[in-house]
Amino acid sequence: MSPFFEIFRRSTLQLVRRPIYWVSIFLLPLFCFLLLSSMMENGLPDKTPAGVIDRDGSALSRQITQSLDGMQLVDVAEMPNSFTEARHLMQEGKIFGFFLIPENFEADLLAGRGPQISFYTNMTYYVPASLLFKTFKSTALYTKAGVASNTIASVGFTQDPAPLLQPVNIVTRPISNPGLNYAIYLCVSFIPCVLQLMIILVTCFSLGQEIKYGDSSRLMQMARGSIVRAVAAKLLPQTLIWVVMAIFMESWLFGWQGYPMHGSWLWLTLSEVLFVLASQGFALFIFGLLPNLRLSLSVCALTGILSFSIAAFSFPMQSMYGAIAIFSYIVPIRYNYLIYIDQALNGIDIYYSRWWYVAYFVFMLLPLTILPRLKKFMVKPVYVP
Amino acid sequence: MKNFFRQYYSEFLREFTLVKGDMGVLIFLLLLPFAYPIVYSLIYNPELVRDVPIVVVDHDRTPMSRELVRRLDATEGIRSIGYATDLADGRRAMNEHKVYGILEIPEGFDRKIGRLEGANAVMYCEMSLLLRYKAILVGATNVMLDMGAEITTERIDEIAPLAETISTGGLMPINNISMGNIEGGFDSFIMPGILILILQQAIMLGVGLCGGALREHPYKGGAILQGSILASMLARMSVFLIIMIVPTLYVVHYVPLMFRFPMGGDIWQELLFVTPMLFATIFLGFILQGVVRERESVFLLWVVTSVIFLFLSGLTWPRYAMNEVWILLSDCVPATWGVEGFIRMNTNGASLAQVRPDYINLWILTGAYGVLAYCVQRWVQRPAVRRALAEQNVGDINLPGDAERSV
Repeated sequence: MSPFFEIFRRSTLQLVRRPIYWVSIFLLPLFCFLLLSSMMENGLPDKTPAGVIDRDGSALSRQITQSLDGMQLVDVAEMPNSFTEARHLMQEGKIFGFFLIPENFEADLLAGRGPQISFYTNMTYYVPASLLFKTFKSTALYTKAGVASNTIASVGFTQDPAPLLQPVNIVTRPISNPGLNYAIYLCVSFIPCVLQLMIILVTCFSLGQEIKYGDSSRLMQMARGSIVRAVAAKLLPQTLIWVVMAIFMESWLFGWQGYPMHGSWLWLTLSEVLFVLASQGFALFIFGLLPNLRLSLSVCALTGILSFSIAAFSFPMQSMYGAIAIFSYIVPIRYNYLIYIDQALNGIDIYYSRWWYVAYFVFMLLPLTILPRLKKFMVKPVYVP
Repeated sequence: MKNFFRQYYSEFLREFTLVKGDMGVLIFLLLLPFAYPIVYSLIYNPELVRDVPIVVVDHDRTPMSRELVRRLDATEGIRSIGYATDLADGRRAMNEHKVYGILEIPEGFDRKIGRLEGANAVMYCEMSLLLRYKAILVGATNVMLDMGAEITTERIDEIAPLAETISTGGLMPINNISMGNIEGGFDSFIMPGILILILQQAIMLGVGLCGGALREHPYKGGAILQGSILASMLARMSVFLIIMIVPTLYVVHYVPLMFRFPMGGDIWQELLFVTPMLFATIFLGFILQGVVRERESVFLLWVVTSVIFLFLSGLTWPRYAMNEVWILLSDCVPATWGVEGFIRMNTNGASLAQVRPDYINLWILTGAYGVLAYCVQRWVQRPAVRRALAEQNVGDINLPGDAERSV
């Protein structure tokens, strides 16, 4: 049996025998796939609880309440009597915003005394508040337009009042995600990031085990002293499993879940495969720098978790402080995300994403710089807890 | 009873020296809650998305169309970086990641406004990030309403002088107010919740790690090996609580102070509120000890749960829109209630009485996890440590205290 295959066999058996690998390679990532995509399967949270303070109690104010309640995104759950009561309900988390119709609203409106309509949204809860804001604002505008066109008609304007009341119109067209589906934002970025986290942790863990239990010298003997052979054969079984997982993830997201896929499957699949290799390269590099199980795992955990923020899935990199934004580019997931945007969401030419693919190769080549150092530690393992 | 207190005391001392000398545990309990909030807050600290670049395709080329572009450029969210000859050209700029929106103004835009036929401009938005889209949408809507109101005012006098109140905003002024996080900043929204999650994860990882250490060095087991489990649990809990006083105060009070998050709550009530969360979390850590065979496996199993707990907490996706399974699961996580209550106290200025349901749930979790933790310590951890000790005694070459002292 060739030395390469012997090591390959040995590390495959190690993976199969320890339940912790089963849990961290299959169970946890798959659970996250399921959690994220099923949690947000509706795309947007429907029926956000809201309140209406109707101090007028007129036909018009009741009509406004009814039309608010009829909106898909809003559920008029409470009818508080005063502002204070509404604010308390908000502090208690029972409503996420409220609409205030003042006293004598209808009478003042018809008499042209300009009553003011106010709405309050609790921005402590970002998503519900943004949705309420949108619905409240359009309801207020429709009400205003309705009254305005009546007023115009009453002074003898017989044409269609709409162009007069809204002479300029800017129509926003959200490309590729017309429904503003929230799952599309979060799942396609967070799920691969979970995968990256687990890949780098498992890579460091499996290498660190060799050093911790002093098995790495035996590994080096099996590899006839070649560090490249030792590391490659040691990590290959994991690579194969992770590639299967990554392709499963790709089909899960863009096939079964039906998230936007407007490009070529070939390029996207290539990206997932390279992503696995790049993440392993990244982890190997960290391990080479800190060939100590606990320390390298700490660094991997830190970067893996920070990746969720620094890779700019929700807050754009261009808006971060410059000195912080550059760190966005030191994690493989950033490139996976950029390629997804270009190749799946927007489906543009591969030419525009060429540098993202090159970056994967940089991550793969990175460990070459630390292999000599790693070899020293592997031959003479010192376990420093 | 006297025996119980003596055991409590000796356990307390034993655990305290153990934790004090264990760098790995101290990193989690002290360094993590110290450093993470700073790093996270710095990432999101610009709070708002400003000046999203767009390109303009102007088929009209009139003063009116230029006015529209100028006004869009002047909004907080939008910055116009130039003109493109046609849509394909604009699309190219978008593909090259130079712009995230294309404004197309059709020919006859000015004329249609003049004739009161209603002029439509189209804004195409790249949808990779919701916040970018929101910045463009808010800017475009505001410009549309302001410009429209001005034009209407000008024109309405010609048609019906009496109806001027329609347009100047006098007919029915619309007023919108953001509560809590009044500037709508992203950092101020996400961080108060993340802070609580960091606190929970730090404690759980730290306590869990201690369990792994015991199995690796079982001779330090103390009362776990022999004696009252209850005394041991209470003693160890006291140790962790004392260590966590400073980190908790820092996370709950000083981080919001440093980064100028909204701080509407009363600090004493907030501390009172997080106390049962600390209890419940320490008990969860004791339960975690049951499955941690070696210290490092904590990383593999527990790090990713930060993501799971973040989503279960309802911070990104509200709890009322989750299905029953996830709601049930999220009910069992201390941080869910911790986040819910804390953000309303901190950001909305709710009092402890107003977060009563969350507070009660935290105490329920404390009780439930306390009982469960006892069972785990009694029937899982004790046999495991005893077994480990027996194994080590067979061919023992380890000297006490050799491993923990260094990192």
